[in-house]
Amino acid sequence: MDEPVLRVRNLTKTYMQGKIPVHALNDVSFDVEKGEFMSIVGPSGSGKSTLLSMIGLLDKPTSGSVFIDDKEITKAKESEVPKLRREKIGFVFQHFNLIPTLTAFENVDVAMRFARVPKNERKQRAVELLTQMGLADRMKHKPSELSGGEQQRTAIARALSNHPAIILADEPTGEVDTKTRDMIVNLLRKLSEEGHTILVVTHDTAVAQQTGRIITMRDGMIESDKT
Amino acid sequence: MFDLILRNITQRKLRTGLSIFGIALGIFAVIVMGGMSEHFNMTFERSISLTADKIRVLPEVGLFGASLNESKASEVKRIPGVSDAYGMLQSPLDPESLGFGGDMVIGVPPEKMVSVLKDTKLTEGRSLVAGDNYRAVIGSSVAREFNLRAGDEMEIKSKKLERARSITNIRNFTVVGVMEYTGSFFDGGIIIPLDTAQKFYNRGNTVSFILAVPDPETDPEELARRIELNVEKVKTFSPAELKTQIEQSLIIFTLITLSAAVLAAIIGGLSVMNTMLMSVSERTKEFGLLKALGADTRDILFMTMGEAALMGLLGGILGIIGGGAVVYLLNDYLAARGTVLFTITPRLIVISMVFSMGLGIISGTYPAYRAAKMSPMEALRYE
Repeated sequence: MDEPVLRVRNLTKTYMQGKIPVHALNDVSFDVEKGEFMSIVGPSGSGKSTLLSMIGLLDKPTSGSVFIDDKEITKAKESEVPKLRREKIGFVFQHFNLIPTLTAFENVDVAMRFARVPKNERKQRAVELLTQMGLADRMKHKPSELSGGEQQRTAIARALSNHPAIILADEPTGEVDTKTRDMIVNLLRKLSEEGHTILVVTHDTAVAQQTGRIITMRDGMIESDKT
Repeated sequence: MFDLILRNITQRKLRTGLSIFGIALGIFAVIVMGGMSEHFNMTFERSISLTADKIRVLPEVGLFGASLNESKASEVKRIPGVSDAYGMLQSPLDPESLGFGGDMVIGVPPEKMVSVLKDTKLTEGRSLVAGDNYRAVIGSSVAREFNLRAGDEMEIKSKKLERARSITNIRNFTVVGVMEYTGSFFDGGIIIPLDTAQKFYNRGNTVSFILAVPDPETDPEELARRIELNVEKVKTFSPAELKTQIEQSLIIFTLITLSAAVLAAIIGGLSVMNTMLMSVSERTKEFGLLKALGADTRDILFMTMGEAALMGLLGGILGIIGGGAVVYLLNDYLAARGTVLFTITPRLIVISMVFSMGLGIISGTYPAYRAAKMSPMEALRYE
């Protein structure tokens, strides 16, 4: 087996709700191999979204560590965080989170600007990705002119733009109909077959069934890990 | 990045427009007020340079007002180091006016004209000569105001108080010469022979002040003190003293006008800050998202401050154009009436430009800081 892309070790997150500590994550450890297509499922409050925020550097754990490509990202300095987010992680959100004032093309382009990619390369890559997502003729449209499925595909193109080590998708099918849902899941699976590592958080069992590995969470702990 | 900034500020056209207008008004005030103070500064500077080589001898102000006998001039002239000294009489052209900024009738001994005018040239006619009576050499503004040329007649009034009655005396003077534009008080001057002036204004043998021309190798400061010690009941203003005194009053004038203008501009800056704060809080999610996509703090700072700076810059340009247009029209209107009030100097434009941009950037700092420290978690949860 290859070196795992993602290693989560003894990850714990405790919030204080007033004076009562809430254990959102309790000693969670697992590995993810390169090219894996996996899902994390569990009821609301089971800690799956918290886990995703820790891996995506959106939040800091109370203890434990996360390694991406052998780099311990949980130890990163505040000033290094943006660079790690750009280079290691691609986000796909439930609400798409495209910038409403920019076209599909510009939404993909803007992510690469922060990575200081030269203009020509950015253009080439954005066109290539959007074409790959089947959006070649929708590039000049604003998010409000795109369907849910098209918006989510734009978001996936954006997530891929900086060649991230891992794609984190938070309920990527939460806002779309079943037909679009199947299309997005197929797309994600295809990407994993091309070598992208994809981690989906969902409560939709139909989505989870399609992934190669399902981690079920309950009360901040891993209840089961099935391949 | 610049295209993003431009897109963001054009997103809310009315709001951006109002903020830009706020800055523009402030800069407009800076240009108009600043133009006025620049004009006064320059007039005084040029006027001082015209008399910089001479010492002013004034009557020591006594209980009965100022009066200086012409004979003092020869007393001054006798002091070693003084090469020449002569009296001058000054009176406002309009006897009703208080004499600030308006045209002045100046009585000068005709044979001293060369010394008085220094290197000021005449565009028309000739200078005064001994034996001229009701003849005058006029400044460029006076010529324009009354539409006079050499050879024309000019009406001058004087007022005499007699037992609580005032008698107005009117005489026609013939214009013999017109001076070039100097940018100094000469432009509003009507120079007539001193003896005629004394007669016309009923001043006997008195003069308003005496000008003492120092010998080239004499220190004017020291000479001024010597004159004060040797001639009774006079005080002197050496060129340097005159300069400091005028500068002091100019500084106060400049401070008053500019602080009013700066206040207006700061209010414009606050409107930019308000706009930026609103736009930042509206875009909470967007900034969170940009951070999740890996935007550096400086990217976000650059974007938000850039928006504010651009608004400041646009407002500044508008304000300068608007202020410039108004000043141009006002000057045109005033020139026909004999005065000019404003001068827009390159330095004023540069200051306004830098000030408006600086104002934009300063007003954008706090909103930008708020945007940059937004946690992506918070922002993305915010639906």
